[in-house]
Amino acid sequence: MPRQIPDGDAPLIGKQPVWDLPVRLVHWLLAGLITFSWWSVHHHHTDWHIWSGISILTLLIFRLLWGFVGSSTARWANFIRGPRTVIDFLRGRWTGIGHTPLGALSVVALFLAVSVQVGLGLISQDEDGIFAGPLSTLVSSDTSDKARDIHELWFETVIVGLIALHIAAIIYYRIRGKGLTKPMITGKAVTDPGAAPMRPGKWWVAVICLAVALGVARWVVAGAPPFGP
Amino acid sequence: MRVHWFAAAAALSLTAAGVAIAALPKNKALAIMHDRHEGMEKIGDTNKLLRREITSSSPFMPAVQSGAATIAGLSVKASGWFPKGTGPELGKTGAKPEIWQNQQDFVSKLHAFQGAARAFNAAAKAGDMNAIKARYADLNGACKACHDKYRMEMHH
Repeated sequence: MPRQIPDGDAPLIGKQPVWDLPVRLVHWLLAGLITFSWWSVHHHHTDWHIWSGISILTLLIFRLLWGFVGSSTARWANFIRGPRTVIDFLRGRWTGIGHTPLGALSVVALFLAVSVQVGLGLISQDEDGIFAGPLSTLVSSDTSDKARDIHELWFETVIVGLIALHIAAIIYYRIRGKGLTKPMITGKAVTDPGAAPMRPGKWWVAVICLAVALGVARWVVAGAPPFGP
Repeated sequence: MRVHWFAAAAALSLTAAGVAIAALPKNKALAIMHDRHEGMEKIGDTNKLLRREITSSSPFMPAVQSGAATIAGLSVKASGWFPKGTGPELGKTGAKPEIWQNQQDFVSKLHAFQGAARAFNAAAKAGDMNAIKARYADLNGACKACHDKYRMEMHH
């Protein structure tokens, strides 16, 4: 969000805005909802699990759009870089704010992996046929069963693996004296001198992105195409 | 005569509910576990197809009726699927040992399932879509109530 942090918090010398409010909210809501999805499905709350997945879908659509029209550090184009930049970064020849070239790969991997997971969930049905994703009627019953098996396997391997890598990287940086968690909460961090400051997004653009995301999610809940197969 | 009939029915329903007194031979127990697995899977597959019909904009009534009859028929057979000695101590199964520890509660849940399957079958035969939807929801609730408590998470 473009709104500035009140003056009372300002005198943190050297700390500059690096993550806008939408980026931080999406991050923590995703962390919370993925945890909740995992918990709910193992505690016989498959209905909550499905709604959690639809909330995640909404966040993914919002974040996808915000990656085109949001603040400078939220934009895909500003952090997805070629292999040469990744190598430069690994050799210590990179300065800037926002996602590092290597961290960006992790962001993209997580975003894609969670998107696949949501897509599989939307067409799945549970083993008793009591619960089904809103798009399950677009495919056969056998396909819905297979989708559920892959959904489970995808979580246990790819999603858990990427989350483990994500947390391992945070711990690695922590040990080397660079805290990443606090900036993801406050939005501010000590930045490299001379790095271009974050260009904030506009709050009303975020509202439009959210409205579009909610609209698409509502369409999916209705059963998609012309509201059904 | 009438009294005898009731006594016989009561005895039958007790054994049928799985309160077998005599120990079950192993091959017999394994055969029952196999039937149980196949039967439950058939109920599940039928339920999946029913869900697709019932939630579709134009449900195909004969498919709903045949599915409802299949589940009602299997629900009656389910009375013989849980005799003592067919738990995880014998072989791979989703049946939790609690089934035989809380026999009364389990049997009441099994009866609730059978009643719900009967009611759903009757509604399907009558053909009123609103009643079908309501009885279908009841049936799924009965499945879930028992599975949540008495079925283990299975990975196959």
